[in-house]
Amino acid sequence: MDKVTYQKENMNPQYPHHYWEYPIAIYLFLGGLGGGILFLSWVLSAFVFPGIDLTQAFMLPNFVALIAIAIGLFFLVFELGQPPVFYRAYVTATSIIKWGAVLLTIASFGDLFWLLGNWSPATPVLGFLSVFNFLGGLSGIWLAAAGISGFGIMVYTGVMLSTLKAHAFWSTPALPVLFTISALSTACAGIMLLMGGWPGVAADMHAAHAVHELLHTCDIVLVIAEITVLMIMVLSFLGAGNRTQQRVAKRWVKGSTAPIFWVGMIGIGLVIPLICNCSGVAGLATLASILVLCGGCLLRFLCVWSDDRQPLPDENRYYFRLKTADPRFMTEWYKEGKDLERGQTWAPKENLF
Amino acid sequence: MTRYAMAIDQRRCIGCHSCSVACRTWNDLPMDIIYNPVLGGVVEGEWPNVHRNYVPTLCMHCKNPECVPCCPTGASQQDEDGVVWVDYKKCMGCKVCVNACPYGMRDTSHTVRRFDEYVRKCTFCKERREMEPDKDPYCVQTCHQKARIFGDIDDPNSAISRLINRSDTFRLLEELGTDPQIYYIPALGGKR
Repeated sequence: MDKVTYQKENMNPQYPHHYWEYPIAIYLFLGGLGGGILFLSWVLSAFVFPGIDLTQAFMLPNFVALIAIAIGLFFLVFELGQPPVFYRAYVTATSIIKWGAVLLTIASFGDLFWLLGNWSPATPVLGFLSVFNFLGGLSGIWLAAAGISGFGIMVYTGVMLSTLKAHAFWSTPALPVLFTISALSTACAGIMLLMGGWPGVAADMHAAHAVHELLHTCDIVLVIAEITVLMIMVLSFLGAGNRTQQRVAKRWVKGSTAPIFWVGMIGIGLVIPLICNCSGVAGLATLASILVLCGGCLLRFLCVWSDDRQPLPDENRYYFRLKTADPRFMTEWYKEGKDLERGQTWAPKENLF
Repeated sequence: MTRYAMAIDQRRCIGCHSCSVACRTWNDLPMDIIYNPVLGGVVEGEWPNVHRNYVPTLCMHCKNPECVPCCPTGASQQDEDGVVWVDYKKCMGCKVCVNACPYGMRDTSHTVRRFDEYVRKCTFCKERREMEPDKDPYCVQTCHQKARIFGDIDDPNSAISRLINRSDTFRLLEELGTDPQIYYIPALGGKR
């Protein structure tokens, strides 16, 4: 006798909604970018070119890093259920989010103090800000604090997701590695685009050129490493992952997000920049940097959207039925719920049922 | 020490969703939040031993909860009796715990006013039991099939201990190591 089993494997595999939406993806990208720029500017200034003053060359990249972290934090706070009480994130000692908040704070203030300490106001109107010049004496300390915290931010963005083992696609050691490489790669691209662009005092162009050459080479290596890690991660999930990992990997490789993955992330975000960087044409190197930034952003979006959880028995069927059994009823139901929360009187709609 | 747990007897559950309705009513939940969805309803087995199998769910109140250590504000807590709950006055709605829960038993409402969202979850009716200690959670009290049995699993004489000890039970996603405290007694004579 055949086993009587009623399974709905082909029903909508989506859960009620994504718990984290686009603001978190933007935050992860901008946090990684800002942290990477700060880390690289510290390493290059302190260790790679210790005898050369790279302050003016890094003014604009570090300013943009501060803006990127600030915008990222805005999106992070915006995504909170209760943004006005965001300061509660600093309370516990065990949470990884708390360490992220601390690192972001140190990096932001370190970068801000470094910028103020090294900023020579061009006009007398802004001369009052010279009160911050005393910060310039501790310039190395501010940059070190920002750089070390920046490294922590790069790693933390991936670690934060990988600790959530409810989500099979995130819960892998490869994800922090991928995010760190991507953050370094986008930071190289960002610095190459912005270096020496600070108005006013001209940067040491010879030194800037040497840094540019080094970053150019580093970016080629990092893009190759990113392609390698990404393909290993996705294809190993596809071939040897559990059911949830396989489902997400299948969606990336040949499913609904395959065009974004292959064309957007791999093609436009990694392979074309690699070809452009290897071509040696100056204009193409600029294009490559822009495309690397786009690819890094796409990576965060795709990862945040891949928050599939291992379903409980027939969970998909339950939520599928709830959402689609009577779409009109559900629409009105939610609408009435919102009206009730606003204090409006509920009144049954005619012909609803 | 008291350790609260729940046994769910799938042999008795008929999928009436009374527990869901009772929970929603007692906790005055928003439209899009449900603490204890009754999943399943699939027909399993071989004729003539077939059974429509329901899986009533709720927070598993795990011994090793994923949702507690990840909370950045300390709002997500676990009492000594094992009950995992959220202090709404500390929650900032970051949804890390929602993402950390492998069972999807936490959520924030999307119908409440913006900037006033916090994470909600089943607490085994903590507030109710504090007021009336001899009362069971509302879903247990409402289940007319007596499919939900609540009690102290560390007490060898409690109904839940005796039931679990003499039955073949399973727990959801046990392989994740969270040690969930909701025990299912499968239908079809204890065969899964």
